[in-house]
Amino acid sequence: MKKIYIVLIAFALGVALTLALDTVYVRSSQDNSCMSCHVHPDAEASWKQSVHHNGSTGTTTGCAECHLPPEGSSARFFAKMKLGGRDLFSYIFKNKENINWEAKRELQYAGKIVFNESCEKCHENLLPKGVSDDAITAHLYYEENAEKLNLQCISCHLDAGHVIPGYSHSKMNLAPQKKEGKIHEAPATIASFADFEETIPGTAESIVMKAIPGGTFLMGSNENEPLRRDDEGPVRKVTVSSFFMAETEITWDQFWAFYGETMSEGRTPPSKIYANNSRPDVDAVSGPTPPYGAPDQGWGAGSRPAITMQHYAAETFCQWLSLKTGHKYRLPTEAEWEYAVRGGTDTPYWFEGSPKKYSDEGFWRKFSSADTTIIASCAIYSANSGNRTGEPASVAANPFGLKNMLGNVMEYCSDWYAADAYSQMADGAVDPKGPATGTEYVVRGGYYASDAKELRCAARAHTETARWLTTDPQNPKSIWWYSDIKGIGFRVVCEVPEGIY
Amino acid sequence: MANKISRRDFFGCSAALGGAALLSSSPILTSCSGGSSKMVPLKKKGEYYIPVLADKADPGRELKVGLIGCGGRGSGALHNVLNAADGIIVHALGDVYEDRLNDVRAMLQRDRGIEVPSENCFIGFDAYKKVIDSGVDMVIVTTPPLFRPYHFQYAVEKGIHCFLEKPIEVDAKGYRMNIATARQAQAKGLAVICGTQRHHQRTYVEAYDLIQQGMIGEITGGNVYWNQDQLWYRERQQGWSDVEWNIRDWVNWTWLSGDHIVEQHVHNIDVFMWMAGGITPIKATGFGSRFRRVTGDQYDNFSIDFEFENGVRLHSMCRQINGCDNKVGEIVHGTKGVWSSFDHAIKDWNGNVLWAYNHAENEAKFAQHDPYTLEHVDWVNHIRKGEPLDEATLCAQSSLAGIMGRESAYTGKEITWEAMSASELDLMPANIESGVLDLASYKVPVPGDK
Repeated sequence: MKKIYIVLIAFALGVALTLALDTVYVRSSQDNSCMSCHVHPDAEASWKQSVHHNGSTGTTTGCAECHLPPEGSSARFFAKMKLGGRDLFSYIFKNKENINWEAKRELQYAGKIVFNESCEKCHENLLPKGVSDDAITAHLYYEENAEKLNLQCISCHLDAGHVIPGYSHSKMNLAPQKKEGKIHEAPATIASFADFEETIPGTAESIVMKAIPGGTFLMGSNENEPLRRDDEGPVRKVTVSSFFMAETEITWDQFWAFYGETMSEGRTPPSKIYANNSRPDVDAVSGPTPPYGAPDQGWGAGSRPAITMQHYAAETFCQWLSLKTGHKYRLPTEAEWEYAVRGGTDTPYWFEGSPKKYSDEGFWRKFSSADTTIIASCAIYSANSGNRTGEPASVAANPFGLKNMLGNVMEYCSDWYAADAYSQMADGAVDPKGPATGTEYVVRGGYYASDAKELRCAARAHTETARWLTTDPQNPKSIWWYSDIKGIGFRVVCEVPEGIY
Repeated sequence: MANKISRRDFFGCSAALGGAALLSSSPILTSCSGGSSKMVPLKKKGEYYIPVLADKADPGRELKVGLIGCGGRGSGALHNVLNAADGIIVHALGDVYEDRLNDVRAMLQRDRGIEVPSENCFIGFDAYKKVIDSGVDMVIVTTPPLFRPYHFQYAVEKGIHCFLEKPIEVDAKGYRMNIATARQAQAKGLAVICGTQRHHQRTYVEAYDLIQQGMIGEITGGNVYWNQDQLWYRERQQGWSDVEWNIRDWVNWTWLSGDHIVEQHVHNIDVFMWMAGGITPIKATGFGSRFRRVTGDQYDNFSIDFEFENGVRLHSMCRQINGCDNKVGEIVHGTKGVWSSFDHAIKDWNGNVLWAYNHAENEAKFAQHDPYTLEHVDWVNHIRKGEPLDEATLCAQSSLAGIMGRESAYTGKEITWEAMSASELDLMPANIESGVLDLASYKVPVPGDK
């Protein structure tokens, strides 16, 4: 008898425990339970204004319906354990004041906590009534490539669950409003080799150009430099001639001025664009087609660096600027870029400090944060950016007077990228222009989300055309805008006119 | 479902049940029950559609049909649907031109004693909307193909069942519209069939079933043909606007017909894509030219190499020139044999006949053998039972394949499916209702550079 009672009691306890756990499991996925810990006030407010709460149908889609895999799947159970565990850890051990919620809305993070299969559970028909032609193209592209390319619904619909002011994924209609101000009538006069302010005729835009006196320097990093990569060597002695370089990366105001004058409606075949722009007597360049979405990501335009344009768009900007001003503008060579960023220094950064000290990599960094006072005053990067671009005025200039060479956005060079470019180059080279051919271009400098190791003067990177265009559903894909990279921009150099020294 | 564990199942101690469910659907157990055939199916039974080819539609509720596009195919389709089922009321007619509509109206009166009231006869470019809004249950859409996507879209929006004559688009924009509309039609439970009547031809359907069961093994390629005499044409007459002339002469103008590789040869390309299990080409490389066509801007011959996944290739040829050898049909090659529509038989690669359509037996068994009628039988049955049917997706795909072939011949370039399906190609003129076209811009295409 006793044994039976023990068994019965154990069974009853088991049932009670199971029911209790089940209740916890269910309740902890309800909206009010989520919001009891997710105390950042904006998440609830922005969700309530979104189409998933305030849509035309009047239905509400709760937190767990997007932020967990669909109900009834085992993936949901494991995702809940993982995400719930992380939330609980943060709630108990982290200082909530220090969490940058805005940064977590970016695709990079949001993609980890929104599940395509949950979107598709409700959105069974991706071609519903009233679907636009652009949307059909995009959704057919999604259906055919979602698995192959790991496409995400929120790559385009980032604001579906929480409104993001200024965010859009549809085609931009008009050129953004021109900046008000005095319209320049003439370009600057370059009378001597000194800093000058280029004025772009017909616009209110100007570009501060710093005079970079030519010289000889050691290009690349030697093997003792911490966190270096192999493509930064061997170190070569390189001489560059004098040139002018823009103080900051080209801004949205400046880029939109170009776009407003050159944009081409509809889609002209790339071959025609290239043919027109490469004519020696071209007097009107063909500029970008309208981008999809807001290229400034809703972060604000103005003097923030223009981003997401492709290398060809940057080159075409230079061509337009040259036509407008009569001065010879182009992208810097990789050698010019590194010479300019070093400003006469030969240390990993043009300011004080070791990459090891600044980098967030490594096991011990989890327990003690780096002292970033110096680097954070000189560049916008992962530790101080809030995961977006910043105003260039916020950082100190390097010895040549250039700002944010190392941070904010990566910058295009005119060189083709090759991992062994420096071995190909002779020691003592003068004004090298990089490999004769290639498939991807050199990009230099870190960007707003880079670790400090990417900010080293010698660090090299390159375009990744296919990956940076993963989401673009057009065919042929855009030659003007990237769909899947944000931290890319450029700065211009101006050649020294003949007779000036 | 068995591999998904719901929250309640997980905590509700039903894992044992789940395990049992897993076992019961295990391929180890189910695969023991089959016969001794060595055929490896391309698709399992139930995963592909075999129509019920009854002689006549089951009786049921009365259905009102509207006709949009009163040409030869339109009046033919009306006869087909009236032969296919009882209880079909011809409710409304629409056409751009009155004389065409009156011809059909008179024909109905003469041949069938059917009177379509004047208030249900609509003329003009918006006649299709008026027919659809007139209270019909179903429409037969047999206008020049350029218009098909727009008519299909409006009909589905209004919840009307559709018969769409092939091809169902002439450009990439039309393809995208059709794919979206087909999806919406399924959501609404509508029955949509297309004028690719081989899908309801007894000889083809029996072969299709056997090919899906694996009789010719895995598909490796095929050849398809539509070589025939010159089609009709109409010279311009006084008083006709540019648009009216083109529409009355539509089988000679690419913007209206899609060119004959799309307008006519789509049948055969479609058969290959259908037989091979619904595959779509990756790219097309082809030639075409024009020797003897009298009016319009089309070619009169094409020869296209289509490439599919895994190296599967289809060669397609079509011609509309008098005095040449004619040939219309399809051949599908597989690893274990070959099917041909020229003898409606499947042979292995040693020439042994594995299957041949038994004409005598089928003649005895069925009274109705006309595929044009049989497709309407299937359509009406679906409508009356409230069962959805989607032929538009495959027909949109085969139409686009034809368009790829055409564009490849016109340009001399290799055309990919990816590029074609996302292309901006849209052949609808800006102001069709004005009647004015820039006819000088409609030139016979010449591939390559000078």
